[in-house]
Amino acid sequence: MRSPVSIVLGGLIAACALPGRPAAAHHSFAPYESELQIAFTGVVTSFEWTNPHIYIRIDTMDENGEPKRWLIECANTTILNRVGWNWNMIEAGDEIAVIVSPLRNGEPAALLKRVRLADGSEYGNGGPAGPATIDFDGNPVPPVPE
Amino acid sequence: MQPSRKLFLVAMLLTGTTAMAQQPSPAPGLNGSWERWPSSFAGLGSDADPPPVDPSAGRIPEPPLRPEYLEAWRAEQAEIQRLTEAGLPPANNYSACIGDGMPAMMMAMFPMEVLETPGQITIIQEAYNQVRRIYFDGELPPAEQAEPRFAGHSIGRWEGDTLVVETVGIKDYVLFRNVPHSPAMRIIERIRLVDDDFMQNQVTVIDPEYLTSPWIWTWAYKRWPGYRIQEYVCENNRYYPDAELGYQRLRVD
Repeated sequence: MRSPVSIVLGGLIAACALPGRPAAAHHSFAPYESELQIAFTGVVTSFEWTNPHIYIRIDTMDENGEPKRWLIECANTTILNRVGWNWNMIEAGDEIAVIVSPLRNGEPAALLKRVRLADGSEYGNGGPAGPATIDFDGNPVPPVPE
Repeated sequence: MQPSRKLFLVAMLLTGTTAMAQQPSPAPGLNGSWERWPSSFAGLGSDADPPPVDPSAGRIPEPPLRPEYLEAWRAEQAEIQRLTEAGLPPANNYSACIGDGMPAMMMAMFPMEVLETPGQITIIQEAYNQVRRIYFDGELPPAEQAEPRFAGHSIGRWEGDTLVVETVGIKDYVLFRNVPHSPAMRIIERIRLVDDDFMQNQVTVIDPEYLTSPWIWTWAYKRWPGYRIQEYVCENNRYYPDAELGYQRLRVD
């Protein structure tokens, strides 16, 4: 496993405050700390291609070198099919890199912003989740389109 | 069935494919897949083309609630916003895996499909596999007598090129923008194609018990040729309401 955990403030993301966006018409991502993005790599232990959302469990190491299992929340199957994901593109055992916003309450779960698979291909997480504002090394970048 | 009729049907079945292939495609009308316009999410179709729809499309005015309800509604909206900004969004029907129902399902949060068949128009909203059926025969039950449902009971008629749909019988906890309603609520939709690619739906909510006047807005939709509505079963709901505060939490395991 390469980079342990790099944490960078990803700048304020106003995705939830855009005018015209219907309130409460989809599952709220407000429990996630949208202004904080972190990047790390890990080994997939499960990939749940389900609705209302898709989940990836990833095993990695925390800042102290202790094992840590993350639950990564993704958008739903129909949105991610539309942006090019595939139901079988991730499997247990794959090493993947992710950019995520963690839960505010400190539990080991996070909202996916962007994922890079073992073959180097990259995917966003659809519009509702908002764009990545850091790269996979944790450096700030202009928002990456979904 | 008489033998001659049976033979005729068999012949139709045998030759049907060829016969259908030789017929010119019918005008699409309302049939097909639609996405809301303007769309705000990537992964939907393009909204680059300026459409000829009502420029107010998608803007929902404040509901004209009676004063005794309006104040409570405004306070609740402010509280929802405050809690959401604090990262504690209140649990709602969506976080319980319960679909929008009417009229919210017609905002087309996800793409929707319109199917015109003789005597009926069926609308399928991708999110939660929601379905509503609009019949052109029969009569609506009196609103207060209608079995409460998510999509309600709908009867349609054509007024020129406009499909006028009246709907009654919405469950009391199926709310659009948290606006309360009575069993007497009626929803009138005026749906028409503004050109081949855009459709608009003027929605009017009438409920004298709660509203001082009709609540009216317009939704617009852009045709999405070739899009096939996908399955969406809410099979893996990790959201649950916090036992003490009721906000939406995620089961992490």
